Amino acid sequence: MHSVELRHVTKRYGAVQAIGDLSLTVEKGSFTALLGPSGCGKSTLLRMIAGLEEITEGQCFIDDVDVTDVPPAKRRIAMVFQSYALYPHMTVRQNIAFSLSIAGASRKEQNEKTTTVARMLQLEPLLDRRPAQLSGGQRQRVAIGRALVREPQVFLFDEPLSNLDAMLRVQMRLELAKLHQDLGTTMIYVTHDQTEAMTLADRIVVLDKGRISQVGTPLDLYNAPANKFVASFIGSPGMNFFGVEVKGVADRRAHVELPGGRSADIPVHSADVAAGPAELGVRPEHLTLVAADDPSAAFKGTVAIVEHLGNSTILYVDTPAGQLIVEGEGNLSLKSGAAVGLALETSRAHLFDADGAVA
Amino acid sequence: MSASAETGAGTVAALRSRRLSRLRRLDLIGLVITLTTVAAAVLWAFPLYWGLVTTFKREYEVVRPVVQLWPEHFTFENYLHVLLQTKIGIWYLNSLITSSAVAVIVVGMAAGAGYAISQLNFPGRRLFWWMILASFMVPIPALTVNHFILMSQFHWVNSLPGVIAPQLIAPVTVIIYKQFFDSVPKDFREAAVIDGANDFQLLFRIYLPMNWGITTALAIITFIGAWNLFLWPFIVVNTEEKMNITVGITQVHDAFGVSYARDLATAMLAALPVAVVYLIFQRRVTQAIMLSAGIKG
Repeated sequence: MHSVELRHVTKRYGAVQAIGDLSLTVEKGSFTALLGPSGCGKSTLLRMIAGLEEITEGQCFIDDVDVTDVPPAKRRIAMVFQSYALYPHMTVRQNIAFSLSIAGASRKEQNEKTTTVARMLQLEPLLDRRPAQLSGGQRQRVAIGRALVREPQVFLFDEPLSNLDAMLRVQMRLELAKLHQDLGTTMIYVTHDQTEAMTLADRIVVLDKGRISQVGTPLDLYNAPANKFVASFIGSPGMNFFGVEVKGVADRRAHVELPGGRSADIPVHSADVAAGPAELGVRPEHLTLVAADDPSAAFKGTVAIVEHLGNSTILYVDTPAGQLIVEGEGNLSLKSGAAVGLALETSRAHLFDADGAVA
Repeated sequence: MSASAETGAGTVAALRSRRLSRLRRLDLIGLVITLTTVAAAVLWAFPLYWGLVTTFKREYEVVRPVVQLWPEHFTFENYLHVLLQTKIGIWYLNSLITSSAVAVIVVGMAAGAGYAISQLNFPGRRLFWWMILASFMVPIPALTVNHFILMSQFHWVNSLPGVIAPQLIAPVTVIIYKQFFDSVPKDFREAAVIDGANDFQLLFRIYLPMNWGITTALAIITFIGAWNLFLWPFIVVNTEEKMNITVGITQVHDAFGVSYARDLATAMLAALPVAVVYLIFQRRVTQAIMLSAGIKG
């Protein structure tokens, strides 16, 4: 059974189409991330699932029930907002119990459920404080607690970690992952941060301009991007792209001429890749540093900038293919101006056609 | 001492003396400013003092062509006369009832109207909003005749509802609430909607509590305005039992002839409750005045 299903969903704001004919299924119990740049429609999609935005065309199903016209409160969903949306005039206890109080639950039931949730999220000492007296991480947990107490079938998260500092973000990511493990409830998580999506999600839905670019596991998206957009969005540092000339295709390998004169055989999915200009994408860790005169070098170049991260070194190398980013070992002692050669791991390179689709 | 050392010492002394004379000049300027400010304050406050001290004088002292800054014979007889010989108790009660009713109803209705215009989507919302803004162009006293005819048709002339009803027109309050409700982040509303709250629950459990400061400020200033109102209550009421305090004090004048000390005592008693309210809530009152001035400006 699908937990959430969107069928041919379109969202228009007047003449502007934010989401166009989008269909998506989310498996029960999964952690699905909606990932994309600002303005791609991921928050709009989440809000349509929540019932906060009207669906212009199409249908939304939750647990096989058509909820397209059902008000948000009756969809058995709970949402955690980017700003947490904790009511500032209420205590933590009152915030968590708010939905129960609206539903008319008895004081006893409100107290019991609030205490259970507070214990689970280690909020018990904070129950009588107000949101202004809490830290960012504590507020985040109260927002999650307020969602938990509703016992929803689907949790919706709208960039919940955006307002936290880097260290707290890592900590809260672990807590969210643990929460998902403990509860097993379906979670749909909107983020523009690919690290969050890659570390938390079972499946990632990459969105671009209101349409789905690719759906897959984090490793699928990383190792086998379907198009240039996904390839450039996933991975940090980002993938290198440069123009190549396809000379021919044989045995599912395209023979390409690289900038600088060398050639390479790149695996392709399609048998009918057209000869001519194309684009090659290579991740920084799939370029290897060799001696400048090494015959295996696909490019010769000069190191422009070196960034030492401790566990790895990022080098920006000027080559005939433009400036390429290379990820090397942490103990590299290369300096700016050094002449180097770059060997290409052809099996991990991706060829893209003129439309940006993977060849 | 060497010549250079002597020159150095002389320079230091000259600098010190120049600094001292500059400081003395500054002190003098400060003193002049302070004295001027004190004089202005005394000039402003003197009529209040004069009015208050007059209420503790006998009438013959008041009409004497002599300036007496303190009563020759300190007396409470004027206050006692007003408190015991007039219907001031009823007037106070009427003022309290009408002012409280106006404050509660205006704030309640304005909050509802402001919420509806700010948060709800209904046909004619924009037109409704423009009508409220346009009503600013109509001065309320210009509607006095219309209001009287209306109250007459409702059979509310010379009644407390008749005093209260026209005072319920308060577009400023609606506008202030609308502005404050507009500034509440959308996330709060959406979180509450997901939690199952309907519009009444949103208004009373989220929007109003989040704007409680404004509500108290508006309630206080509306109460003070209604308490101090004279023209409309004077027109619509014609028996002493229905008068509020501002109209009632004119009856003291009419009933007992011109008696300055008594008249002033009545005025002091009329102003006393709002003066106390203002002293306690002056911060809120200032806040509310600034809000309305911001809109009108």
